[in-house]
Amino acid sequence: MKNKVVFVLIAAFLGTLFLFSCRGEQEKKTEINSQWKFVKNIDLNNVNPIGIVAQENFLWLSDVDNNRIVKINLDGKIIESFDGFQRPMHIAIQKDKIFVPEYTSDTVKIIENGNISTLALKENTDAIAGIAVDENTVAVADFYNHRIILQQEDKVTILGKEGHNDGELYYPTDVAIKSDLIYVADAYNNRVQVFDLKGNYVRMIGWNENIKVATGLIVTDTQVIIADFEGNRVLIYDLNGNLLQIVSGKFNQPTDIEIVANKMYVVNYKGSLISVFYK
Amino acid sequence: MKPLLKTGIITLLTFATFILSTTNVNAQTKNETDKTYIKIEVDGLSCPFCAYGLEKKLKQAGSKDVLINLEEGEATMSVPIDQQPTEEELRKIVKDAGFTPKEITFSKTPFKIKQDEK
Repeated sequence: MKNKVVFVLIAAFLGTLFLFSCRGEQEKKTEINSQWKFVKNIDLNNVNPIGIVAQENFLWLSDVDNNRIVKINLDGKIIESFDGFQRPMHIAIQKDKIFVPEYTSDTVKIIENGNISTLALKENTDAIAGIAVDENTVAVADFYNHRIILQQEDKVTILGKEGHNDGELYYPTDVAIKSDLIYVADAYNNRVQVFDLKGNYVRMIGWNENIKVATGLIVTDTQVIIADFEGNRVLIYDLNGNLLQIVSGKFNQPTDIEIVANKMYVVNYKGSLISVFYK
Repeated sequence: MKPLLKTGIITLLTFATFILSTTNVNAQTKNETDKTYIKIEVDGLSCPFCAYGLEKKLKQAGSKDVLINLEEGEATMSVPIDQQPTEEELRKIVKDAGFTPKEITFSKTPFKIKQDEK
């Protein structure tokens, strides 16, 4: 009798555990598969953005044509403007620091509490098109040298070289770091490539969707989202590169993407606007 | 006496203004004639990374006023006459920037620029 009770209790415990694990999987699956839906456009006044990052209820944009970084509210109104940058491209944020790669001067500037400083790079670059920062790891897209420079304190690792094969890059424009992997917008190979921190090629994403210049990307916990500049599309994949959704008809030369609180903000270089989506 | 003084001052001011404006025009004309204006038609100029890449390379060649027109697919710039690059040098710069150069025009006067419709 005692054994029977113990057996029933164990069976009930295991059953509950199984049900909970199934529910978790289901929630994850729903989250991955739910579709982005268009909400509205935010008009920008004379801003031609390349990069975007979010900070609380504000968005920071690199206004490349006007050589400035602007902080806007969610209605598109400019709250702060920092002038004098030399063709700022894909920016990054870490806590209160905005990292700004300057394409023309080959330096990375940091805006923090209104002050501007310079980040020391250990390798020479030729046109920094994008930057990603994750704790002490900095990755920059070295456009004309067709490579990513990964800087971890004193250690420098080079990712990729010029070419069109697996692990080779052709004019990279953006980079992201997620879970010890480096995601590269391999712009003129029309795809995203993934590397590990040692510089080993891991996988390719988007090669099958006829992307026309993959200029920008963002990586979330479950998705890789790519801006297709000439194709006027945004393509959404899971982390393994399986296509989940293609959004089109809403863009005018999209260059970058940011996600905050289930909202996706896509900046358009032409037309001065941000397209907003909800999931 | 007073009307004469007033007339004298007006005459002097008019004369000074004339001299200054003439000098300015002369300086501007001299400045313009000291420069060579260059227009480069480029194939494959489509995105801002391309445009500002070409701008960067042309600035490294000595121009401070490079203007890229994505719509027209052309770059215009000026350089001091004594630092004028050859057509071959310009073609190499454009190729190194990742593009195919088409026609390159040298002029003693500035080119009319069409506004990029953004």
